[in-house]
Amino acid sequence: MKIKTRGNLEEQIRQGADREKLGADREKQGANREKLAEEQIQVRTKAMESTFDGIFIIDAKKPNFPIIYANPSFYSLTGYSRNEVIGKNYFLLYGLDDNSRIYEEIKKTLRQGKSFHGEMLNFKKNGEKFWSLLRITLVRDKNGITTHYVGNKTDTTLMRQRDLEIAEQREELLHVTRVGKLAEFVSSLAHEISQPLTAILSYAQAAQRTLKDREPQVQEILQFIVNDDQRAAEVIRRLRSLLKKNKPTFEPLDINVIINDTVRLIMPHITAGNKIVKLDLDTSLPYFQGDRIQLQQVILNLISNSLEAMESSEDSHELIIKTSRKGKEMIMVEVKDSGCGIPEENMKKLFAHFFTSKPDGLGMGLSISRSIVEAHGGHLEAKNNPDQGATFYFTIPVNLKNDL
Amino acid sequence: MPTKIFIVDDDESVCRALKTLLMTYDFEVRTFNSAQDFFDTIAPEDPGCLLLDIHMPGLDGWETQKKILATGSKRPVIFISAEKKDDAHDRALKVGAVGFLQKPVNGQTLVDLINSSARN
Repeated sequence: MKIKTRGNLEEQIRQGADREKLGADREKQGANREKLAEEQIQVRTKAMESTFDGIFIIDAKKPNFPIIYANPSFYSLTGYSRNEVIGKNYFLLYGLDDNSRIYEEIKKTLRQGKSFHGEMLNFKKNGEKFWSLLRITLVRDKNGITTHYVGNKTDTTLMRQRDLEIAEQREELLHVTRVGKLAEFVSSLAHEISQPLTAILSYAQAAQRTLKDREPQVQEILQFIVNDDQRAAEVIRRLRSLLKKNKPTFEPLDINVIINDTVRLIMPHITAGNKIVKLDLDTSLPYFQGDRIQLQQVILNLISNSLEAMESSEDSHELIIKTSRKGKEMIMVEVKDSGCGIPEENMKKLFAHFFTSKPDGLGMGLSISRSIVEAHGGHLEAKNNPDQGATFYFTIPVNLKNDL
Repeated sequence: MPTKIFIVDDDESVCRALKTLLMTYDFEVRTFNSAQDFFDTIAPEDPGCLLLDIHMPGLDGWETQKKILATGSKRPVIFISAEKKDDAHDRALKVGAVGFLQKPVNGQTLVDLINSSARN
């Protein structure tokens, strides 16, 4: 018994100690959990504070929807200090003057219980403009009631500026192309009209000489024909000098840079048409002397033609632009499409003025491109590919003296 | 003996009209619609002044003049073109032509130039 009692006692003591140990363990575990949770909160807070995006939290349960938290990036992005932000209504912070419509839209979206996503122009405290991408999401409690809104603001000014620059460059190139087309058009038209004017003048003067001193009335009429013929010729002459093509400005150029720039300008058009451009550029090509804008015009024209040739077909969507060295003296540029190809009967007329296979084309693009390439001392040609589509290719001589 | 004139222009109407006009000045005129036609018909040593269009399919005016010079022919050539580039006149003289006239050509101006080339 004793032993048993002792045994029981020992048992009891041991159990007591165990219980104590368990309690201590539990306490320790609790402390650990708290520590872990605290660490997690710290990590999350640090993450929020170190991100480049401006983050803010709005209390959705208070009637004026005050901002209760904003991270440092939010302050640097907007130029406002903590005191000017915390407790204020997000929309009041920005004023309602310029963007009231967009703010109404944000409020409407949030009231419908949806997240908002949109890009807008904002003003910093000092009045400086900046573009921002704003996303506001809803935080709900377990009953589904919206307790907070979390806003995320990304500065997109640089991206916007780059887009704008590209758009401007594209517009400039298109303008030059349009003016070039007009000049070429007038020049061709002038040529075509000068021929019959030459004939009319010659016939009228021949008739005048044949009549000599006879038929004074007919002589007078013939003189009117001569005068009006010369007047028409003068109109054409003036029109031509008005639209005189700009002289090319030659500078050392890298053909790959020109191709990259042009592709960048037309990229939205390419992706919109569901097409792909593959560049196969020889990076060891030397510089050459050329006019940047004019050559961009050529590349743009060849790409546009290729895209149009591939427009009607779903299967053909790949365009390859290749540069290479042709012998010592020449750089070769090839624009290869997988479109409908060129009918044999059109091959010869392809580069003629006013020749076009498009319903709304002027028939100027390729003839201008060829005259530009020839002004650079090169040649522009076309051929059908053995499998599918066509390749337009041109050469530009490398002036070794100007090799940089 | 009347001075012979050859006209090379791809525009038939221009050829016919210039021929009609020059015949009133008592020239003997033959027309050709391409430079190749002219070379096929007229020997380099046949005397006569050539009125030469610049923009033509096939051999253009400049190439035609080069070919004429290459045969050693002393034929007087007058370029006649609808397009007047700034340097066309200088370029014409540089390649040995008598002159350059822009279309539409005044009859008397043309005849004066032909006569002066015939005298030289």
